[in-house]
Amino acid sequence: MRYLMTTMASDTAPDEKLFTEMAKFVEELSAAGVLLATGGLEPGGVRIASAGDEITVTDGPFAEAKEAVAGFALIEVRTKEEAIELGRRFRKIVGDGESVIQQVFGP
Amino acid sequence: MVSDAHQTVDAVWKLESAKIIGGLARMVHDVGLAEELAQDALVAALEQWPQSGVPDNPGAWLMTTAKRRAVDHIRRAQRLEEKKQQLAQERPVQTDQDDILRLMFISCHPILPTQARVALTLRLVGGLTAAEIGRAFLVAEPVVTQRIAVAKRTLAEEQVPFELPDGAELAERLSSVLEVIYLIFNEGYSATSGDDLVRPGLVMEALRLGRLLADLSPHEPEAHGLVALMEIQASRTAARTGPSGEPVRLHEQNRGRWDQLLIRRGFTAMLRAREISATRIGGPGPYVLQAAIAVMHAQARTAADTDWAQIAALYELLVRLVPTAIVRLNQAVAVGMARGPAEGLALADALLTDPALRDYHLLPGVRADLLVRLERYGEARLEFERAATLTHNEAERAFLRRRAAELVAEPEHPAPRPPGPEASDRASGRVFGEAAQGFLARADLDPATVRSYGQTMRALTRGLGEHLPLAQLTPDLVTRVFTTAWPTAAPATWNRHRAAVRSFADWAGLGDLTTGLARRTQPPATTAHLDPATLDRIWNLPATPREHALWRLLHESAAPVSTILRLNVEDLDLEDRRARAGEDRVTWRSGAARLLPALVADRTAGPVFLAERRPGPGRTPAPGDLCPHTGRGRLSYERAEYLFKQATKALDPEGFTLRMLRPRGRV
Repeated sequence: MRYLMTTMASDTAPDEKLFTEMAKFVEELSAAGVLLATGGLEPGGVRIASAGDEITVTDGPFAEAKEAVAGFALIEVRTKEEAIELGRRFRKIVGDGESVIQQVFGP
Repeated sequence: MVSDAHQTVDAVWKLESAKIIGGLARMVHDVGLAEELAQDALVAALEQWPQSGVPDNPGAWLMTTAKRRAVDHIRRAQRLEEKKQQLAQERPVQTDQDDILRLMFISCHPILPTQARVALTLRLVGGLTAAEIGRAFLVAEPVVTQRIAVAKRTLAEEQVPFELPDGAELAERLSSVLEVIYLIFNEGYSATSGDDLVRPGLVMEALRLGRLLADLSPHEPEAHGLVALMEIQASRTAARTGPSGEPVRLHEQNRGRWDQLLIRRGFTAMLRAREISATRIGGPGPYVLQAAIAVMHAQARTAADTDWAQIAALYELLVRLVPTAIVRLNQAVAVGMARGPAEGLALADALLTDPALRDYHLLPGVRADLLVRLERYGEARLEFERAATLTHNEAERAFLRRRAAELVAEPEHPAPRPPGPEASDRASGRVFGEAAQGFLARADLDPATVRSYGQTMRALTRGLGEHLPLAQLTPDLVTRVFTTAWPTAAPATWNRHRAAVRSFADWAGLGDLTTGLARRTQPPATTAHLDPATLDRIWNLPATPREHALWRLLHESAAPVSTILRLNVEDLDLEDRRARAGEDRVTWRSGAARLLPALVADRTAGPVFLAERRPGPGRTPAPGDLCPHTGRGRLSYERAEYLFKQATKALDPEGFTLRMLRPRGRV
């Protein structure tokens, strides 16, 4: 099963320790064949909305920055519990904040 | 909450078990024991976590608990001092990662039968339970449990060291690991049994194991090659089954449904394999070559864009390394696409006499496709029909029948020999299948003959297709079927089939069809012998004491099976390890000497090897073949042979025969 974990932006500035621990975690998960893809996202971005025939393209940043996704990880695991356990480990490294785990269907 | 905690324990276990078992195995030098200690820690977690809550670092908790138990165990074994020293001396270079790699190598040790390697790898490295493994391979849980137990015992008894192989051994051991992983993958990807064409759980398990191995042995191009091959093949999972579950072949797949993420991961692994290969002497290995072929397909935007010349060249290299019939058949397809159907057909035709492909529907399927392209529609139709008869997949059978029906029958060739007037009535315009049925329906054949001829006719029908016009049945075709269907048949069997064909030809007025088939008088091949490693595994198979005594005795005495089964208790001289069987003298060594006394127990007369039950009514054996103590009869050759064959199926898909137990050079 594939799960996408998205992490919201937080106020705490990352320090050296976080970077090292994070790198180790990512390395370990890639080696175990669990982590398929991961990356950080630029703040803001471009918003594209459609209404009827009309497409509106808006440049960021946007007001509700707290809810914006700042990073993602696509993992392949056997069960939802495995995904949650990995999420738990991730949260322990990054400190206060929030992530969402969702199963990915397809392709 | 309790079940939540249980699920968390399970998840943590699956993520951590390899590391834990590997670490413990380094401490106690016994994988089986290490696994039991780790299981103890798991049980402790199941007991404590629901109450105390899941600890902050559950993996570390399991590891600490398990290590404590290992130390306890060592203390109990009163080897504390010695082990303390060993623990103190442990080199810091041995990391968790090395532990897991060692665990992979030992799980795939060549000393173990393949199925045991698979089960042990999934168990120790993948963290799967016996029930989960059983479900994946459609076997009962106790079978898996047994396989794992026997494997662990074998490793302990053989004192296989928990170390990484080096030098020349490394290559051989690595190829065993690669083979096991690819086997797991293929069982999931092209399920050989069951209703589903794909079992995604096993595909994922194999991918995980492969990625792990590639990371642990980053300098092995074949490890990366295997990962590349699996990622790219797995990328096609969604596209390779149609709406009703039927297989969709590569060139007909909707390439838009290929998983680009996996393809890209495959390309990356392939690049790494190439980079390492570039620094090595010698050409690419079989997995890198297969991955390269998969890459060529993945790079083609449409089936028509496929670079067949390149693929044919890769197959040429692959055939040199892995000259199996399947690889050569794939090569025939590639060559047919690259250099035209005639060249492809020449390669496919060379496989017609290969026994490995005797019942494999893809051979006639491939030939049919090539024949169509050569506009030889009549032959193509027959090959499609034959492929349809051989396939086990209903959807595929319907497809092949449809292909056959689309081809208009060619006008038939003239008969090779002018038949007699009455026989020509039987032969003209008829197809082989009908004629064979007519032949078997004759009134003047007794049932036994019909049964015997029926076997021959069925094999011919499978080999030739039931729609082959009788007029096209030539001695060459018959020879081909014989050499593929009965390559190692005993002379009597061979001659029986040959006689059936002669009788059929005579009845149908076809002239002699057996000109290419000599009567056989000599056994076609000498009996195969078992190597020491296989014998060791046989000695460890689960079987009754009687079987083990019989097998050991056969091996150590080198006497014929019938002689050994004829032995009576009163013939035995256990003290001097010898017996008299009529004119023959039989001697044995320590293995049988250890087992025989328990088998004989306090019996004083009667057959040494007894049947399991008393003879049924109406089957009164000679008094000499009855045990005066139990009333049971003498063990028959057939029964002993059957039991041995069944028991050794754990080691070889065909099982072995008792004769093969005799040591080399003694037959």
